[in-house]
Amino acid sequence: MSGVRRFTFSTLVIWIVLLAGAVICVFPFFWMLVGTTLNPNDVLKGLVRPGDEFSSNWEKAVSNYNLGLFFWNSLKIALLTVVFGVAVNSLAAFGFEKYKSKARDQVFGILLLTLIIPQIALLIPTFRLFVFAQLLNTHLAIILPSVMSVFIIFFMRQNFSMFPTEIMEAARVDGASELATFLRIVSPSMKASFASAAIYIFLAQWNSYLWPLMTVLSEVKKTLPIAMATMTNAYTIEYGALMIIVCISVIPVLILFLTMQRQFVAGLLGSVK
Amino acid sequence: MNKRGPYYRYLNRFGWLCVAPAMLLFCLFMLYPILSSLYYVTRKWKGATDSFIGLGNFARMAKDQVFQQAVGHNFIYMAIQIPIMIFLALVLAVILNQGIKHLRGTFRTIFFLPCVTSLVACSVLFKILLQTNGLLNNLLLSARIIGEPISWLGTPFWANVAIILAITWRWTGYNMVFFLVGLQNIDSQIYEAAEVDGASKRLQFFRITMPLLVPVILFSAVTSTSGTMQLFDEPNILTTQGGPANATMTASLYIYRQAFVINSDFGYATAMSYVVVLIAGVFAYIQMRLLGGKREEK
Repeated sequence: MSGVRRFTFSTLVIWIVLLAGAVICVFPFFWMLVGTTLNPNDVLKGLVRPGDEFSSNWEKAVSNYNLGLFFWNSLKIALLTVVFGVAVNSLAAFGFEKYKSKARDQVFGILLLTLIIPQIALLIPTFRLFVFAQLLNTHLAIILPSVMSVFIIFFMRQNFSMFPTEIMEAARVDGASELATFLRIVSPSMKASFASAAIYIFLAQWNSYLWPLMTVLSEVKKTLPIAMATMTNAYTIEYGALMIIVCISVIPVLILFLTMQRQFVAGLLGSVK
Repeated sequence: MNKRGPYYRYLNRFGWLCVAPAMLLFCLFMLYPILSSLYYVTRKWKGATDSFIGLGNFARMAKDQVFQQAVGHNFIYMAIQIPIMIFLALVLAVILNQGIKHLRGTFRTIFFLPCVTSLVACSVLFKILLQTNGLLNNLLLSARIIGEPISWLGTPFWANVAIILAITWRWTGYNMVFFLVGLQNIDSQIYEAAEVDGASKRLQFFRITMPLLVPVILFSAVTSTSGTMQLFDEPNILTTQGGPANATMTASLYIYRQAFVINSDFGYATAMSYVVVLIAGVFAYIQMRLLGGKREEK
């Protein structure tokens, strides 16, 4: 074919499909932003033209609905889970992969088996455990059960398996301790994998709903998803303020996605390729 | 690793030290819940006290129509939503892979965007868009596709459609990325060989692309199945607690409601979650049979 582009019927269909898909995917985001500037009635009617109610909606979201506190709660919980989650799971993955023993391989097999258990089945006995420990309605209760993740251990183990063991042996010969090898030699060369794991843990916690719904009992402990859900099911709904909370919950993740797209997708799909 | 000597023992000890923190958490939040559920499943709660009822919870479940309907809804979503989503994701992936020469990355990013919303945010947005006097109805009315507004969230049929719409919007791009990776992993030499043999593009697609993509499609069907089995956020928020009249009640939501909203019967909730685990186990077994061999090759 020459450099001239032929315009055919099938290219037209292809572009219509692509553009329609793109509009459907993007529109709710666009509309979410518009919604923050509308009064509650216009949000409900789905007006697409921006209004001028942003400051009063913002005012309501901050003063009536504690937006700042919910954001801080969500951020604190998600970041702490990331810090502990990355440390605990990557160390475990390192142990399973680079210090292979029959016993540890069997333990790893048991871990993998638990992946099939649906969340709800584990959460009810776990809830009883937290009742017993008198830790309900604390952020610790939200963080603790989410730190260990079999999926992240599995993911990190796959990535550690690509790290050449010879380099570790060279470090040993040079007198580095095992922990120093992990921290100074292996980890720095796997920044992308760590980033993917961190993003995955952050997202899972930032967006989690079911477990916080069980454990959060008071207004001041609420996270953004819990706040959104309660507002939506309230008798009278401040739609403008709700749209602001939705934006505050979505936009940080959006920025994370657009700036670290590769690690973001790799983390979600569970493989770095 | 040399199996003898103090150096091996030192390394082995370090290995255990590495996995120890994770194992401690595993025992607390996986092993203990699993073991204690064996106790809870035999108990019945009345108020704050509980008593032994043996297998009574399972007898109650056999008569509980709402639970059976709820599990039925999970299966309906699997049977209807997953094929629609996989078809859409495949179409988009194939177009992005072969159909266009420009803007491929841009469109991939756009189609992935819905994945950044939490299920809660997605449910909230759809709940507002699907109001009877809301945006979607206005759009359909002005395009004269419908004559009168649809009560999306007020009628059983349309409430189920609403759930399917929301899930499809949220997850199609996610599955598309899987397919895109799968398509890009197909060796271009195969197509070149087919070209030499005079196979048409259409023939190449159905005889080369599709068969090679089957494992990826299966994988995404399996992950979607397990996700659908755990459906909770959407029916709780979008259609308001599985409404109207339990029309969108799902297994997870009903278990949650039995334990935390309607009753506080953790025994009955545990018994029902056993059934959900059993179903998940059957699906996992099928998954291993279908994908097991392929995984090994990798």
